Amino acid sequence: MAEGHTQVIAATPVREVDRDAAEGLAATPAIDARDLTKRYGKVEAVRGIKLEVRPREIFGLIGPDGAGKTSTFQILAGVMEATSGVANIFGSPAREMRSQTGYLTQSFSLYPDLTVAENIRYCGDLRRISPQQIVARGQQYLRMFDMDRFADRLAGKLSGGMRQKLSLICALVPQPRILLLDEPTTGVDPVSRREFWDALAHLSADGLTILVATPYLDEAERCHRIAFMHQGQILQIGSSTELCASLNAKRIELRTPDLRKTESILASHSGPDDDILDVQRFGDRLDLLVRDPDQAQQQVTEELTRAGVSIEEMHVDQPTLENTFVARLRALGQDLHSSEFPSRHNHSSLRGQIAIDAKSLLKDFDGFTAVKNVSLQIRNGEVYGLLGANGAGKTTTIRMLCGLLEPTGGSMELAGATGNLRSEAVRKRIGYMSQKFSLYDDLSIRQNLDFFAGVYGVPDAEREEKIRWVLSFSGLEGKQDQLTGSLPGGWKQRVAFGAAILHEPDILFLDEPTSGVDPLARRAFWTMINRLADTGAAILVTTHYLEEAEQCNRLGMMVAGELVAEGTPSGIKSRQTGHLLQLIVDQPQRAVDLLKHTTEGWRVSLFGERLHLITEDAPEIAIQQTTQQLEAAGLRVFSAREDRFSLEDVFISIVEKARLEGKVSLEK
Amino acid sequence: MTLTGLFRHLFSYRMRALVKKEFNQIRRDRRLQISLVLPPILQLTLFGFALSSNVSDLRLAVVDDNRTPESRELISTLTESKSFRLAGYYASVDQLGDAVSRGDADAGLVVPYDYARDLARQRPTTVQLLLNATNANTATISRAYAQGVLQSYNVNLRQNGIHLQVQPTVAPNLARRGQIQLQPAFLFNPGLVDSWFIVTGVLGLLLILNSTMVASASMVREREAGTIEQLLMSPASTTEIIVAKIAPLFFLLSLMMLAAIAVLRLVFSVPFRGSLLLLICAGCLCILSGISIGTVIATFSRSAQQAQLTSFFLNPPLASLSGALNPIEAMPKWLQPLTVLNPVHHFAAIVRGTMLKGGGFADVWPNFLGLFLFTLVLVSLSVRRFRKQLS
Repeated sequence: MAEGHTQVIAATPVREVDRDAAEGLAATPAIDARDLTKRYGKVEAVRGIKLEVRPREIFGLIGPDGAGKTSTFQILAGVMEATSGVANIFGSPAREMRSQTGYLTQSFSLYPDLTVAENIRYCGDLRRISPQQIVARGQQYLRMFDMDRFADRLAGKLSGGMRQKLSLICALVPQPRILLLDEPTTGVDPVSRREFWDALAHLSADGLTILVATPYLDEAERCHRIAFMHQGQILQIGSSTELCASLNAKRIELRTPDLRKTESILASHSGPDDDILDVQRFGDRLDLLVRDPDQAQQQVTEELTRAGVSIEEMHVDQPTLENTFVARLRALGQDLHSSEFPSRHNHSSLRGQIAIDAKSLLKDFDGFTAVKNVSLQIRNGEVYGLLGANGAGKTTTIRMLCGLLEPTGGSMELAGATGNLRSEAVRKRIGYMSQKFSLYDDLSIRQNLDFFAGVYGVPDAEREEKIRWVLSFSGLEGKQDQLTGSLPGGWKQRVAFGAAILHEPDILFLDEPTSGVDPLARRAFWTMINRLADTGAAILVTTHYLEEAEQCNRLGMMVAGELVAEGTPSGIKSRQTGHLLQLIVDQPQRAVDLLKHTTEGWRVSLFGERLHLITEDAPEIAIQQTTQQLEAAGLRVFSAREDRFSLEDVFISIVEKARLEGKVSLEK
Repeated sequence: MTLTGLFRHLFSYRMRALVKKEFNQIRRDRRLQISLVLPPILQLTLFGFALSSNVSDLRLAVVDDNRTPESRELISTLTESKSFRLAGYYASVDQLGDAVSRGDADAGLVVPYDYARDLARQRPTTVQLLLNATNANTATISRAYAQGVLQSYNVNLRQNGIHLQVQPTVAPNLARRGQIQLQPAFLFNPGLVDSWFIVTGVLGLLLILNSTMVASASMVREREAGTIEQLLMSPASTTEIIVAKIAPLFFLLSLMMLAAIAVLRLVFSVPFRGSLLLLICAGCLCILSGISIGTVIATFSRSAQQAQLTSFFLNPPLASLSGALNPIEAMPKWLQPLTVLNPVHHFAAIVRGTMLKGGGFADVWPNFLGLFLFTLVLVSLSVRRFRKQLS
């Protein structure tokens, strides 16, 4: 984003305040926390934070696992008493204002055996809302979230995204003035996530104040302001643009034919005191965080030419929020220093061989075709990302690929085996990390690791060393006797990942491995995944986070049981037709509503103060037309320009276009 | 699979890891541990004492047409026993009949006018006992008591060469005063300690019900937690998974069985006349069939709660159609054949046969065969179901 726009954005909050002043609200912040402290015994979870959230604001709280976000939420929701300090909601103590706050916890808190309507009714009854109002508001929100078709469905049968929307509706029915959302989109697919955030933007424009915590920084960019929390303290508050600018660095996207080699060359020249601050590897590019882009480009060119690596593309851009976050944490010395994986087997000889070969896979469940005509090949040494909305058939496909499920049609070859994919010899070569539940909660961490090492036959001589590595990788040294069930989600994922690769598989299936994992740990995951691929393993990953999907060498996108797009991340992006426009206007939500009337809803989305519009027209014409349209309605357009597609934009376009072609089975 | 192959399988590193994991999980599961320790002691003792059919303090109405010291001695002998207490004197048999049918008394005693005279002449004499058979069980038991009391009274009298007989008449049939005289001889349980009957039956119920419950809970847990998929992707075969799941449970349930047998012996002093080995073998079969029932239930259930409810549904028929708590002969004819399908029935028969009767294999082999066949069918059914569920 160009510097000039930052100015405009900085000006917008002032306008917000003006509007609030007119309503007489400027004097009272919606949320006002001062010197807030929470101690659990000796542990200080929240250490004197100061936080002021303005009315109508979407305020993001980001930070690594264990930063004290959930404690802060519980205090503000009035369900937990602070050890000391002030926590006021509209000028009164949070505990007294509970009727004004809606709180969405991390866990699903609805009744799975009640229907959607019954759940809403129950939540309304609890807050003593009159039945007529419950019905009226319930219908209003169900319509708003495009869920009115599902009023009679059991909550337990909803997909993750719809459950979260239902939780949101239940929180909204008592008409709170403040919404507290603690990681509301964990495990929710990109399409539903975008709808969820569109709904939040809508609600905030209608006057609701929203405080939201998220481990996903592409989501945080949709907040007006963000607070960066770490070890119980708030280190920084600002809009995402401000936070990124505060890093005083630029990002260089670099593409070379040999990323592994390039990474190791540049990594040795990077550090907090060097010109190159940080090197991060993605699926088909490297991201360099640099102080002075010109100087850095020169240095990179010199170093790589000396090593004989050619440069395919070098491109300077603004750092992302994720870059900023990771760089900040690393500056605080929070980088995960795990010991080197004690690799005993090298699968390099397998490199380039086809590990997974699926031809026209078909799966029928009682007349419902979950997967049709899916063909894909994954070679050793490759990281393949499988993307898709909930219900797109991703999980069914993985289960067929790894031999858990017999396909109805098509042929499968796995690790050279074609007939019996479930033989002991095949499974010994496979590592598998299933969605969420791959460890025994009622065993200690150590017992879990011992079990997986034992069942996969890791030789005794290697066992100790490898288990030590997992503990170091997950940052749980010395806690090995802790009960696994007591670990927060992110840590459990780290142990589960470690357990899945203990036996050094040459084919690895990872189903949403990083769900609920903070950005720093996610980075450690991907470093490890890349390293495994470098030693010759074939890796299949699924994720709901498109930013993360950029880490894959190749991607496959599934819609309604079919593979609709496949290629490298850049390849898929470049094949995308149409253009992404970024507009900054004075009444963003009104602009969104206006534009949604004249174009398909998915093409318009609000990211904080920035409005994204996907158009099939030439950018100049589209900018002109849109500006005219908005100004005719009395809105002011501060800036409008073309921006690069994010992978998420591409994914949503692909899904929506497929949906228009009649491939509708997003929600079975 | 050859036998050596099987053994290599059983002692492989994978098997060790699987079994160790199960034991570790059981060690963390307090509820499971408690349900393995408490039932043998609590259930057996409770059932043994509470289900015992001892009857006491029955209200005895009396018509004394004789009014002599001898008749009063007879009445006081009866009412001083633990079983009866005096409810009142009535003038006529009709009044007494009314009192019994109104429920003012549980039993009536009629002493004829010539009672003392007959005794004095050393002639056998007859007294009449009226019983309210609304509760048939109580009626039968009170008759037995009255007979018992009179028998010992007779012994005293016989020393004087006199003999007294009781003539029972069941109240609704006052008109048909039967003349049948019972001379029961209670073999093998001469003291008629009915807790022996109960606890030997409860032992089988205990084994089956607990095995079912524990197995279904532990089988369904893996599915409920979602870890089953992870387990299936490991190189462990389905056989290994099943054996590793069953083995620790079987081991612990066997320990429970030994504890239960000890309670039988020590608390209830049940005699041990037959082969202990035979009993333990039957017990093991019983546990295995219980585990199989539990596994089958688990394969049909989505959650531990569902499994629990299904086993609750299964309990009553297993218990009541077993002959463990009530005599099979008391069931309607058409229900009786069903007991053959009940492992509890066979096990109870074997326990009673060996412990009380001192019978050997030759005596109980039909039941043993029944139990064995039943276990075989159930085990193979459960393994099939489990495998099908896994794939």
